[in-house]
Amino acid sequence: MILGADPLLTGPIDLTAVAIVAFKTLLVFVFLLVATMLMIWFERKVHGDMTNRIGPNQAGPFGVLQSVADGIKVFFKEDLIPDRSDRFVFKLAPYLSVVPAFVTFAVVPIGGVFGDGERGVVSMFGRDTRLQLADPPIGILLVLAMSSIAVYGVMLAGWSSGSKYPLLGSVRASAQMVSYEAALGLSVVAVVLVSGTLTTSGIVASQHVWNWNIWATGAVPFIIFVIAATAELNRPPFDLVEAEQELVGGFHTEYSSVRFALFYLAEFMNTVTMSAIIVTLFLGGPNGPALIGPDWVWGPIWFFAKLLVFLFMFVWFRATLPRFRYDQLMDLGWKALIPLALGWLLLLVAVRVADDEDWNVFVVMAAALAVMAAAYGLLVLAFRAARRVHEVEAAI
Amino acid sequence: MGQYLPILMLLVLAVVFAALSFFASRLLAPRRPTAAKSAPYECGIVPSREPPERFPVRFYLIAMIFIVFDIEIIFLYPYAVIHRELGGFGLVEMAVFVVAVFAAFVYLIANGALDWGPVKHLRRVDPRVSTSRTAATTVRRVGLEGREPETGEAA
Repeated sequence: MILGADPLLTGPIDLTAVAIVAFKTLLVFVFLLVATMLMIWFERKVHGDMTNRIGPNQAGPFGVLQSVADGIKVFFKEDLIPDRSDRFVFKLAPYLSVVPAFVTFAVVPIGGVFGDGERGVVSMFGRDTRLQLADPPIGILLVLAMSSIAVYGVMLAGWSSGSKYPLLGSVRASAQMVSYEAALGLSVVAVVLVSGTLTTSGIVASQHVWNWNIWATGAVPFIIFVIAATAELNRPPFDLVEAEQELVGGFHTEYSSVRFALFYLAEFMNTVTMSAIIVTLFLGGPNGPALIGPDWVWGPIWFFAKLLVFLFMFVWFRATLPRFRYDQLMDLGWKALIPLALGWLLLLVAVRVADDEDWNVFVVMAAALAVMAAAYGLLVLAFRAARRVHEVEAAI
Repeated sequence: MGQYLPILMLLVLAVVFAALSFFASRLLAPRRPTAAKSAPYECGIVPSREPPERFPVRFYLIAMIFIVFDIEIIFLYPYAVIHRELGGFGLVEMAVFVVAVFAAFVYLIANGALDWGPVKHLRRVDPRVSTSRTAATTVRRVGLEGREPETGEAA
Protein backbone atom coordinates (compact mmCIF):
# COMPACT_ATOMS: atom_id res chain seq x y z
CA MET A 1 0.00 0.00 0.00
CA ILE A 2 1.34 3.40 -0.98
CA LEU A 3 0.36 6.38 1.11
CA GLY A 4 0.78 9.55 -0.83
CA ALA A 5 3.12 12.18 0.38
CA ASP A 6 4.82 15.11 -1.20
CA PRO A 7 8.41 14.85 0.10
CA LEU A 8 8.44 18.63 0.32
CA LEU A 9 5.83 18.64 3.08
CA THR A 10 6.53 15.43 5.01
CA GLY A 11 8.94 16.88 7.57
CA PRO A 12 8.69 20.16 9.46
CA ILE A 13 7.68 22.89 7.04
CA ASP A 14 10.07 25.82 6.74
CA LEU A 15 9.88 29.06 4.83
CA THR A 16 11.44 27.70 1.62
CA ALA A 17 8.84 24.94 1.47
CA VAL A 18 6.03 27.45 1.93
CA ALA A 19 7.52 29.64 -0.80
CA ILE A 20 7.71 26.69 -3.20
CA VAL A 21 4.12 25.73 -2.38
CA ALA A 22 3.00 29.32 -2.96
CA PHE A 23 4.81 29.34 -6.30
CA LYS A 24 3.19 26.07 -7.35
CA THR A 25 -0.24 27.28 -6.20
CA LEU A 26 0.09 30.43 -8.25
CA LEU A 27 1.24 28.40 -11.25
CA VAL A 28 -1.77 26.05 -11.04
CA PHE A 29 -4.12 29.00 -10.52
CA VAL A 30 -2.86 30.83 -13.59
CA PHE A 31 -2.78 27.61 -15.61
CA LEU A 32 -6.40 26.87 -14.74
CA LEU A 33 -7.57 30.37 -15.67
CA VAL A 34 -5.69 30.36 -18.98
CA ALA A 35 -6.76 26.79 -19.77
CA THR A 36 -10.39 27.66 -19.08
CA MET A 37 -10.23 30.73 -21.30
CA LEU A 38 -8.67 28.67 -24.08
CA MET A 39 -11.22 25.90 -23.55
CA ILE A 40 -14.10 28.37 -24.00
CA TRP A 41 -12.51 29.61 -27.21
CA PHE A 42 -11.72 26.03 -28.35
CA GLU A 43 -15.30 24.90 -27.77
CA ARG A 44 -16.79 27.86 -29.63
CA LYS A 45 -14.36 27.50 -32.52
CA VAL A 46 -14.64 23.72 -32.93
CA HIS A 47 -18.38 23.71 -32.37
CA GLY A 48 -18.63 26.49 -34.93
CA ASP A 49 -16.70 24.45 -37.47
CA MET A 50 -18.79 21.37 -36.80
CA THR A 51 -22.02 23.28 -37.35
CA ASN A 52 -20.70 25.03 -40.45
CA ARG A 53 -20.15 28.42 -38.85
CA ILE A 54 -17.00 30.48 -38.42
CA GLY A 55 -16.96 30.96 -34.66
CA PRO A 56 -15.07 33.77 -32.93
CA ASN A 57 -12.51 35.29 -35.31
CA GLN A 58 -12.21 38.98 -34.41
CA ALA A 59 -10.34 39.24 -31.10
CA GLY A 60 -6.71 38.33 -31.64
CA PRO A 61 -5.36 35.70 -34.05
CA PHE A 62 -8.12 33.16 -34.81
CA GLY A 63 -10.22 34.83 -32.11
CA VAL A 64 -8.08 33.41 -29.29
CA LEU A 65 -8.65 36.46 -27.13
CA GLN A 66 -12.44 36.26 -27.41
CA SER A 67 -12.80 34.90 -23.86
CA VAL A 68 -10.60 37.69 -22.50
CA ALA A 69 -12.72 40.27 -24.28
CA ASP A 70 -15.90 38.71 -22.92
CA GLY A 71 -14.37 38.55 -19.44
CA ILE A 72 -13.51 42.24 -19.48
CA LYS A 73 -16.91 43.17 -20.85
CA VAL A 74 -18.68 41.33 -18.08
CA PHE A 75 -17.17 43.59 -15.38
CA PHE A 76 -18.97 46.57 -16.89
CA LYS A 77 -22.39 44.91 -16.85
CA GLU A 78 -25.00 45.73 -14.26
CA ASP A 79 -25.12 43.24 -11.41
CA LEU A 80 -28.77 42.55 -10.63
CA ILE A 81 -30.09 40.84 -7.54
CA PRO A 82 -33.76 39.93 -7.99
CA ASP A 83 -36.26 41.26 -5.46
CA ARG A 84 -37.59 37.88 -4.48
CA SER A 85 -34.19 36.27 -4.04
CA ASP A 86 -32.61 35.15 -0.79
CA ARG A 87 -29.79 37.67 -0.94
CA PHE A 88 -27.19 35.91 1.18
CA VAL A 89 -27.55 32.52 -0.52
CA PHE A 90 -27.80 34.21 -3.91
CA LYS A 91 -24.40 35.80 -3.33
CA LEU A 92 -22.91 32.67 -1.77
CA ALA A 93 -23.78 30.27 -4.61
CA PRO A 94 -21.15 31.46 -7.16
CA TYR A 95 -18.43 30.90 -4.54
CA LEU A 96 -19.69 27.37 -3.92
CA SER A 97 -19.52 26.73 -7.63
CA VAL A 98 -16.15 28.26 -8.47
CA VAL A 99 -14.06 27.23 -5.45
CA PRO A 100 -14.47 23.43 -5.89
CA ALA A 101 -13.70 23.89 -9.58
CA PHE A 102 -10.32 25.37 -8.64
CA VAL A 103 -9.51 23.01 -5.77
CA THR A 104 -10.12 19.73 -7.63
CA PHE A 105 -7.17 20.30 -9.92
CA ALA A 106 -4.78 20.32 -6.94
CA VAL A 107 -4.47 16.52 -6.92
CA VAL A 108 -3.83 16.05 -10.65
CA PRO A 109 -0.22 15.06 -11.44
CA ILE A 110 0.84 16.89 -14.59
CA GLY A 111 4.37 15.57 -14.89
CA GLY A 112 7.23 13.67 -13.33
CA VAL A 113 9.08 10.52 -14.27
CA PHE A 114 7.54 7.33 -12.89
CA GLY A 115 8.85 3.77 -12.83
CA ASP A 116 12.41 2.39 -12.86
CA GLY A 117 12.85 3.30 -9.20
CA GLU A 118 11.75 6.89 -9.78
CA ARG A 119 8.69 7.98 -7.85
CA GLY A 120 7.73 10.99 -9.91
CA VAL A 121 9.71 13.37 -7.75
CA VAL A 122 11.44 16.36 -9.26
CA SER A 123 13.89 18.81 -7.81
CA MET A 124 12.71 22.40 -7.50
CA PHE A 125 14.89 25.11 -5.92
CA GLY A 126 17.01 22.43 -4.26
CA ARG A 127 14.00 20.61 -2.77
CA ASP A 128 12.33 17.38 -3.85
CA THR A 129 8.70 17.78 -4.74
CA ARG A 130 6.04 16.43 -7.08
CA LEU A 131 4.74 18.00 -10.26
CA GLN A 132 1.30 18.21 -8.74
CA LEU A 133 0.07 20.78 -6.30
CA ALA A 134 -0.88 18.47 -3.43
CA ASP A 135 -0.60 14.74 -2.81
CA PRO A 136 -2.79 13.97 0.19
CA PRO A 137 -3.28 10.32 1.21
CA ILE A 138 -7.00 10.52 0.34
CA GLY A 139 -6.20 11.65 -3.21
CA ILE A 140 -9.11 10.67 -5.40
CA LEU A 141 -11.67 11.03 -2.58
CA LEU A 142 -10.97 14.77 -2.63
CA VAL A 143 -12.16 14.85 -6.25
CA LEU A 144 -15.42 13.12 -5.33
CA ALA A 145 -15.90 15.39 -2.31
CA MET A 146 -15.41 18.51 -4.40
CA SER A 147 -17.83 17.33 -7.07
CA SER A 148 -20.38 16.84 -4.27
CA ILE A 149 -19.87 20.39 -3.05
CA ALA A 150 -20.33 21.70 -6.59
CA VAL A 151 -23.90 20.32 -6.44
CA TYR A 152 -24.61 22.80 -3.63
CA GLY A 153 -23.57 25.73 -5.81
CA VAL A 154 -26.00 24.75 -8.55
CA MET A 155 -28.82 23.83 -6.18
CA LEU A 156 -28.61 26.93 -3.97
CA ALA A 157 -28.27 29.22 -7.00
CA GLY A 158 -31.56 27.99 -8.39
CA TRP A 159 -33.34 27.88 -5.07
CA SER A 160 -32.30 31.35 -3.93
CA SER A 161 -33.28 33.06 -7.18
CA GLY A 162 -36.97 33.10 -6.23
CA SER A 163 -38.00 32.39 -9.80
CA LYS A 164 -39.58 29.43 -11.57
CA TYR A 165 -37.08 28.39 -14.22
CA PRO A 166 -33.98 28.49 -12.04
CA LEU A 167 -35.78 26.47 -9.37
CA LEU A 168 -36.85 23.80 -11.87
CA GLY A 169 -33.36 23.74 -13.35
CA SER A 170 -31.67 23.35 -10.01
CA VAL A 171 -33.98 20.56 -8.82
CA ARG A 172 -33.30 18.71 -12.05
CA ALA A 173 -29.59 19.38 -11.67
CA SER A 174 -29.30 18.11 -8.13
CA ALA A 175 -31.19 14.88 -8.90
CA GLN A 176 -29.09 14.32 -12.01
CA MET A 177 -25.69 15.05 -10.46
CA VAL A 178 -26.51 12.98 -7.41
CA SER A 179 -27.64 10.03 -9.55
CA TYR A 180 -24.52 9.93 -11.68
CA GLU A 181 -22.23 10.43 -8.73
CA ALA A 182 -23.02 6.89 -7.61
CA ALA A 183 -21.95 5.48 -11.00
CA LEU A 184 -18.90 7.75 -10.99
CA GLY A 185 -17.87 6.51 -7.54
CA LEU A 186 -18.33 2.86 -8.51
CA SER A 187 -16.15 3.16 -11.59
CA VAL A 188 -13.43 4.86 -9.54
CA VAL A 189 -13.46 1.89 -7.14
CA ALA A 190 -12.30 -0.30 -10.04
CA VAL A 191 -9.31 1.99 -10.56
CA VAL A 192 -8.49 1.96 -6.85
CA LEU A 193 -8.73 -1.83 -6.92
CA VAL A 194 -6.24 -2.19 -9.76
CA SER A 195 -3.85 0.49 -8.53
CA GLY A 196 -4.10 -0.44 -4.86
CA THR A 197 -3.95 3.13 -3.62
CA LEU A 198 -6.12 6.21 -3.25
CA THR A 199 -3.41 8.75 -4.01
CA THR A 200 -3.31 10.18 -7.51
CA SER A 201 0.48 9.92 -7.64
CA GLY A 202 0.26 6.23 -6.72
CA ILE A 203 -2.43 5.64 -9.34
CA VAL A 204 -0.23 7.26 -11.98
CA ALA A 205 2.86 5.34 -10.80
CA SER A 206 1.01 2.03 -11.06
CA GLN A 207 0.24 2.75 -14.72
CA HIS A 208 3.90 3.17 -15.67
CA VAL A 209 4.41 3.58 -19.40
CA TRP A 210 1.81 1.30 -21.02
CA ASN A 211 0.06 -0.45 -18.13
CA TRP A 212 -2.85 1.99 -18.31
CA ASN A 213 -5.93 1.41 -16.22
CA ILE A 214 -8.15 1.59 -19.29
CA TRP A 215 -6.88 -1.91 -20.19
CA ALA A 216 -6.14 -3.07 -16.65
CA THR A 217 -9.78 -2.53 -15.63
CA GLY A 218 -11.18 -3.79 -18.93
CA ALA A 219 -12.50 -0.55 -20.49
CA VAL A 220 -15.98 -0.85 -18.95
CA PRO A 221 -15.25 1.39 -15.92
CA PHE A 222 -13.65 3.89 -18.32
CA ILE A 223 -16.79 4.09 -20.45
CA ILE A 224 -19.00 4.38 -17.36
CA PHE A 225 -16.74 7.08 -15.96
CA VAL A 226 -16.81 9.13 -19.16
CA ILE A 227 -20.61 8.95 -19.36
CA ALA A 228 -21.05 9.75 -15.67
CA ALA A 229 -18.51 12.58 -15.89
CA THR A 230 -20.38 14.13 -18.81
CA ALA A 231 -23.58 13.99 -16.79
CA GLU A 232 -21.80 15.32 -13.70
CA LEU A 233 -20.56 18.30 -15.73
CA ASN A 234 -24.07 18.95 -17.08
CA ARG A 235 -22.64 18.96 -20.56
CA PRO A 236 -24.56 17.87 -23.63
CA PRO A 237 -26.16 15.37 -24.11
CA PHE A 238 -26.92 15.63 -20.37
CA ASP A 239 -27.55 19.37 -20.26
CA LEU A 240 -31.18 19.20 -19.12
CA VAL A 241 -30.18 21.55 -16.34
CA GLU A 242 -29.96 24.46 -18.73
CA ALA A 243 -32.10 23.20 -21.57
CA GLU A 244 -32.69 26.52 -23.29
CA GLN A 245 -35.94 25.50 -24.95
CA GLU A 246 -37.53 24.59 -21.63
CA LEU A 247 -35.80 26.48 -18.84
CA VAL A 248 -34.32 29.68 -20.35
CA GLY A 249 -30.84 29.33 -18.82
CA GLY A 250 -31.52 26.88 -16.04
CA PHE A 251 -30.18 27.59 -12.57
CA HIS A 252 -28.33 30.77 -13.58
CA THR A 253 -31.23 32.50 -15.35
CA GLU A 254 -31.37 35.28 -12.76
CA TYR A 255 -27.62 35.77 -12.59
CA SER A 256 -25.93 38.55 -14.47
CA SER A 257 -22.57 40.28 -14.71
CA VAL A 258 -19.66 38.77 -12.76
CA ARG A 259 -21.84 36.30 -10.90
CA PHE A 260 -22.91 34.74 -14.17
CA ALA A 261 -19.34 34.81 -15.44
CA LEU A 262 -18.18 32.85 -12.40
CA PHE A 263 -20.74 30.10 -13.06
CA TYR A 264 -19.62 30.00 -16.68
CA LEU A 265 -15.98 29.88 -15.61
CA ALA A 266 -16.69 27.09 -13.14
CA GLU A 267 -18.50 25.06 -15.77
CA PHE A 268 -15.62 25.15 -18.23
CA MET A 269 -13.00 24.78 -15.51
CA ASN A 270 -14.80 21.65 -14.37
CA THR A 271 -14.63 20.35 -17.94
CA VAL A 272 -10.87 20.85 -18.01
CA THR A 273 -10.44 19.33 -14.55
CA MET A 274 -12.66 16.35 -15.27
CA SER A 275 -10.71 15.64 -18.46
CA ALA A 276 -7.53 15.77 -16.41
CA ILE A 277 -9.04 13.34 -13.89
CA ILE A 278 -10.01 10.93 -16.67
CA VAL A 279 -6.46 11.08 -18.02
CA THR A 280 -5.03 10.50 -14.53
CA LEU A 281 -7.30 7.61 -13.64
CA PHE A 282 -7.48 5.69 -16.88
CA LEU A 283 -4.87 6.87 -19.37
CA GLY A 284 -1.74 6.92 -17.25
CA GLY A 285 -1.57 10.66 -16.63
CA PRO A 286 1.87 11.91 -17.67
CA ASN A 287 3.08 8.37 -18.46
CA GLY A 288 4.34 7.82 -21.95
CA PRO A 289 7.48 6.93 -23.83
CA ALA A 290 10.30 9.47 -23.57
CA LEU A 291 11.45 10.10 -27.11
CA ILE A 292 14.22 12.67 -27.47
CA GLY A 293 15.73 15.03 -24.92
CA PRO A 294 15.48 14.76 -21.13
CA ASP A 295 12.86 12.40 -19.64
CA TRP A 296 11.04 14.96 -17.53
CA VAL A 297 10.00 17.04 -20.56
CA TRP A 298 7.77 14.26 -21.87
CA GLY A 299 5.51 13.94 -18.82
CA PRO A 300 3.69 17.27 -19.30
CA ILE A 301 3.70 16.83 -23.12
CA TRP A 302 1.92 13.48 -22.92
CA PHE A 303 -0.41 14.77 -20.23
CA PHE A 304 -1.54 17.76 -22.28
CA ALA A 305 -1.83 15.68 -25.45
CA LYS A 306 -4.17 13.26 -23.69
CA LEU A 307 -6.04 16.14 -22.05
CA LEU A 308 -6.67 17.71 -25.44
CA VAL A 309 -8.20 14.47 -26.73
CA PHE A 310 -10.84 14.55 -23.99
CA LEU A 311 -11.51 18.26 -24.33
CA PHE A 312 -12.16 17.67 -28.00
CA MET A 313 -14.36 14.69 -27.10
CA PHE A 314 -16.59 16.84 -24.89
CA VAL A 315 -17.01 19.40 -27.69
CA TRP A 316 -17.70 16.59 -30.15
CA PHE A 317 -20.41 15.21 -27.84
CA ARG A 318 -22.05 18.61 -27.79
CA ALA A 319 -22.02 18.98 -31.56
CA THR A 320 -23.21 15.43 -32.25
CA LEU A 321 -25.57 14.06 -29.63
CA PRO A 322 -29.17 15.18 -29.07
CA ARG A 323 -30.28 15.88 -25.51
CA PHE A 324 -31.69 13.11 -23.33
CA ARG A 325 -35.24 13.13 -22.02
CA TYR A 326 -35.37 13.24 -18.23
CA ASP A 327 -36.73 9.73 -17.70
CA GLN A 328 -34.16 8.33 -20.15
CA LEU A 329 -31.44 10.11 -18.21
CA MET A 330 -32.56 8.67 -14.90
CA ASP A 331 -33.04 5.20 -16.36
CA LEU A 332 -29.56 5.23 -17.88
CA GLY A 333 -27.98 6.32 -14.60
CA TRP A 334 -29.78 4.07 -12.16
CA LYS A 335 -30.88 1.07 -14.18
CA ALA A 336 -27.92 0.63 -16.52
CA LEU A 337 -24.75 2.26 -15.24
CA ILE A 338 -24.96 1.43 -11.53
CA PRO A 339 -25.72 -2.32 -11.89
CA LEU A 340 -23.15 -2.60 -14.68
CA ALA A 341 -20.45 -0.87 -12.64
CA LEU A 342 -21.23 -2.98 -9.57
CA GLY A 343 -21.20 -6.24 -11.54
CA TRP A 344 -17.99 -5.40 -13.36
CA LEU A 345 -16.32 -4.46 -10.08
CA LEU A 346 -17.22 -7.82 -8.52
CA LEU A 347 -15.94 -9.67 -11.59
CA LEU A 348 -12.64 -7.78 -11.36
CA VAL A 349 -12.32 -8.53 -7.65
CA ALA A 350 -13.09 -12.23 -8.16
CA VAL A 351 -10.53 -12.60 -10.94
CA ARG A 352 -7.82 -10.75 -9.03
CA VAL A 353 -8.38 -12.65 -5.78
CA ALA A 354 -8.49 -15.94 -7.69
CA ASP A 355 -5.19 -15.02 -9.29
CA ASP A 356 -3.63 -14.31 -5.88
CA GLU A 357 -4.98 -17.41 -4.16
CA ASP A 358 -4.11 -19.79 -7.01
CA TRP A 359 -7.72 -20.75 -7.56
CA ASN A 360 -8.75 -21.93 -10.99
CA VAL A 361 -9.46 -18.69 -12.81
CA PHE A 362 -11.91 -20.27 -15.24
CA VAL A 363 -14.03 -21.81 -12.48
CA VAL A 364 -14.10 -18.47 -10.66
CA MET A 365 -14.99 -16.64 -13.89
CA ALA A 366 -17.78 -19.10 -14.62
CA ALA A 367 -19.13 -18.77 -11.07
CA ALA A 368 -18.97 -14.97 -11.23
CA LEU A 369 -20.71 -14.91 -14.61
CA ALA A 370 -23.41 -17.27 -13.30
CA VAL A 371 -24.00 -14.98 -10.30
CA MET A 372 -24.16 -11.97 -12.61
CA ALA A 373 -26.61 -13.71 -14.92
CA ALA A 374 -28.82 -14.51 -11.92
CA ALA A 375 -28.58 -10.87 -10.80
CA TYR A 376 -29.51 -9.71 -14.29
CA GLY A 377 -32.54 -12.01 -14.26
CA LEU A 378 -33.62 -10.55 -10.94
CA LEU A 379 -33.24 -7.04 -12.35
CA VAL A 380 -35.39 -7.89 -15.37
CA LEU A 381 -38.07 -9.27 -13.06
CA ALA A 382 -37.85 -6.10 -10.99
CA PHE A 383 -38.28 -3.94 -14.12
CA ARG A 384 -41.42 -5.90 -15.03
CA ALA A 385 -42.86 -5.52 -11.54
CA ALA A 386 -42.08 -1.80 -11.63
CA ARG A 387 -43.83 -1.41 -14.96
CA ARG A 388 -46.96 -3.04 -13.57
CA VAL A 389 -46.93 -0.69 -10.57
CA HIS A 390 -46.40 2.27 -12.87
CA GLU A 391 -49.25 1.28 -15.19
CA VAL A 392 -51.67 0.84 -12.30
CA GLU A 393 -50.69 4.26 -10.97
CA ALA A 394 -51.25 5.79 -14.38
CA ALA A 395 -54.62 4.03 -14.76
CA ILE A 396 -55.81 5.47 -11.42
CA MET B 1 -1.53 17.58 7.87
CA GLY B 2 1.18 19.41 5.94
CA GLN B 3 0.01 17.66 2.78
CA TYR B 4 -3.16 19.74 2.82
CA LEU B 5 -1.36 23.09 2.92
CA PRO B 6 -1.34 23.57 -0.89
CA ILE B 7 -5.05 22.73 -1.10
CA LEU B 8 -5.77 25.32 1.58
CA MET B 9 -3.68 27.88 -0.29
CA LEU B 10 -5.50 27.23 -3.57
CA LEU B 11 -8.83 27.47 -1.76
CA VAL B 12 -7.92 30.85 -0.28
CA LEU B 13 -6.67 32.04 -3.67
CA ALA B 14 -9.91 30.98 -5.35
CA VAL B 15 -12.04 32.76 -2.73
CA VAL B 16 -9.90 35.90 -3.04
CA PHE B 17 -10.23 35.75 -6.83
CA ALA B 18 -14.01 35.55 -6.64
CA ALA B 19 -14.20 38.30 -4.02
CA LEU B 20 -11.94 40.60 -6.05
CA SER B 21 -14.10 40.00 -9.13
CA PHE B 22 -17.17 41.14 -7.19
CA PHE B 23 -15.27 44.15 -5.88
CA ALA B 24 -14.15 45.13 -9.39
CA SER B 25 -17.67 44.70 -10.69
CA ARG B 26 -18.99 46.93 -7.92
CA LEU B 27 -16.50 49.65 -8.90
CA LEU B 28 -17.03 49.42 -12.66
CA ALA B 29 -20.61 48.35 -13.25
CA PRO B 30 -23.57 50.73 -13.32
CA ARG B 31 -26.32 50.30 -10.72
CA ARG B 32 -29.70 51.33 -12.02
CA PRO B 33 -32.18 48.71 -10.84
CA THR B 34 -35.79 49.12 -11.83
CA ALA B 35 -38.85 47.14 -10.84
CA ALA B 36 -38.92 45.42 -14.22
CA LYS B 37 -35.25 44.46 -14.06
CA SER B 38 -35.37 42.94 -10.63
CA ALA B 39 -38.57 41.00 -11.21
CA PRO B 40 -38.19 37.25 -11.86
CA TYR B 41 -37.36 36.56 -15.51
CA GLU B 42 -40.20 34.88 -17.34
CA CYS B 43 -39.50 35.68 -20.98
CA GLY B 44 -41.15 39.09 -20.78
CA ILE B 45 -44.38 38.03 -19.15
CA VAL B 46 -45.20 39.69 -15.84
CA PRO B 47 -44.91 36.92 -13.24
CA SER B 48 -48.33 36.15 -11.82
CA ARG B 49 -47.65 33.12 -9.67
CA GLU B 50 -45.14 32.27 -6.98
CA PRO B 51 -42.55 29.63 -7.85
CA PRO B 52 -43.78 26.18 -6.86
CA GLU B 53 -42.99 25.05 -3.36
CA ARG B 54 -44.12 21.46 -3.78
CA PHE B 55 -42.20 19.04 -5.93
CA PRO B 56 -42.84 15.53 -7.19
CA VAL B 57 -41.89 13.16 -4.42
CA ARG B 58 -39.56 11.28 -6.77
CA PHE B 59 -36.92 13.96 -6.41
CA TYR B 60 -36.88 13.43 -2.64
CA LEU B 61 -36.77 9.66 -3.16
CA ILE B 62 -33.74 10.04 -5.41
CA ALA B 63 -31.99 12.10 -2.74
CA MET B 64 -32.68 9.49 -0.05
CA ILE B 65 -31.66 6.55 -2.23
CA PHE B 66 -28.50 8.40 -3.20
CA ILE B 67 -27.45 8.85 0.42
CA VAL B 68 -27.87 5.14 1.09
CA PHE B 69 -25.97 4.17 -2.06
CA ASP B 70 -23.18 6.66 -1.66
CA ILE B 71 -22.42 5.41 1.83
CA GLU B 72 -22.39 1.83 0.55
CA ILE B 73 -20.02 2.81 -2.25
CA ILE B 74 -17.71 4.50 0.24
CA PHE B 75 -17.43 1.17 2.08
CA LEU B 76 -16.04 -0.36 -1.11
CA TYR B 77 -13.05 1.99 -1.18
CA PRO B 78 -11.14 0.63 1.85
CA TYR B 79 -11.76 -2.89 0.61
CA ALA B 80 -10.46 -2.02 -2.86
CA VAL B 81 -7.21 -0.71 -1.35
CA ILE B 82 -6.46 -3.79 0.78
CA HIS B 83 -8.21 -6.59 -1.16
CA ARG B 84 -4.86 -8.36 -1.66
CA GLU B 85 -4.24 -8.68 2.10
CA LEU B 86 -7.76 -9.93 2.79
CA GLY B 87 -7.69 -12.58 0.05
CA GLY B 88 -10.52 -15.12 -0.24
CA PHE B 89 -12.09 -14.14 3.09
CA GLY B 90 -12.43 -10.55 1.92
CA LEU B 91 -13.96 -11.66 -1.37
CA VAL B 92 -16.68 -13.66 0.38
CA GLU B 93 -17.37 -10.85 2.86
CA MET B 94 -17.61 -8.33 0.03
CA ALA B 95 -19.90 -10.61 -1.96
CA VAL B 96 -22.25 -10.82 1.04
CA PHE B 97 -22.16 -7.05 1.41
CA VAL B 98 -22.88 -6.46 -2.27
CA VAL B 99 -25.72 -9.00 -2.20
CA ALA B 100 -27.29 -6.97 0.61
CA VAL B 101 -26.88 -3.76 -1.39
CA PHE B 102 -28.20 -5.39 -4.53
CA ALA B 103 -31.26 -6.82 -2.77
CA ALA B 104 -32.16 -3.32 -1.60
CA PHE B 105 -31.60 -2.02 -5.13
CA VAL B 106 -33.85 -4.67 -6.68
CA TYR B 107 -36.52 -3.94 -4.06
CA LEU B 108 -36.41 -0.23 -4.94
CA ILE B 109 -36.67 -0.90 -8.65
CA ALA B 110 -39.49 -3.42 -8.22
CA ASN B 111 -41.46 -0.85 -6.24
CA GLY B 112 -41.04 1.68 -9.00
CA ALA B 113 -39.04 4.10 -6.85
CA LEU B 114 -36.79 4.90 -9.81
CA ASP B 115 -39.45 5.18 -12.50
CA TRP B 116 -39.93 8.45 -14.33
CA GLY B 117 -41.88 9.68 -17.21
CA PRO B 118 -44.88 8.41 -19.12
CA VAL B 119 -46.08 4.81 -19.15
CA LYS B 120 -44.85 3.04 -22.23
CA HIS B 121 -47.60 0.38 -22.42
CA LEU B 122 -50.96 1.76 -21.43
CA ARG B 123 -53.38 -0.70 -19.88
CA ARG B 124 -55.94 -2.23 -22.16
CA VAL B 125 -59.39 -0.81 -21.78
CA ASP B 126 -61.71 -3.00 -19.69
CA PRO B 127 -63.59 -5.17 -22.29
CA ARG B 128 -66.79 -5.15 -20.23
CA VAL B 129 -67.22 -1.42 -20.88
CA SER B 130 -68.39 -0.45 -24.33
CA THR B 131 -66.15 2.04 -26.14
CA SER B 132 -69.19 4.02 -27.24
CA ARG B 133 -69.81 5.10 -23.63
CA THR B 134 -67.86 8.31 -23.19
CA ALA B 135 -68.36 11.49 -21.19
CA ALA B 136 -70.13 13.01 -24.21
CA THR B 137 -72.70 10.22 -24.53
CA THR B 138 -73.44 9.45 -20.88
CA VAL B 139 -73.60 12.92 -19.36
CA ARG B 140 -76.91 14.65 -20.08
CA ARG B 141 -76.38 18.34 -20.51
CA VAL B 142 -79.07 20.64 -19.19
CA GLY B 143 -79.67 24.37 -19.23
CA LEU B 144 -78.37 24.89 -22.74
CA GLU B 145 -81.56 26.49 -24.08
CA GLY B 146 -80.95 29.77 -25.86
CA ARG B 147 -77.18 29.47 -25.69
CA GLU B 148 -74.74 29.37 -28.56
CA PRO B 149 -73.71 25.82 -29.39
CA GLU B 150 -70.20 25.22 -28.10
CA THR B 151 -67.67 25.45 -30.88
CA GLY B 152 -64.81 24.02 -28.91
CA GLU B 153 -62.48 26.99 -29.13
CA ALA B 154 -64.57 29.07 -26.75
CA ALA B 155 -63.47 28.72 -23.15
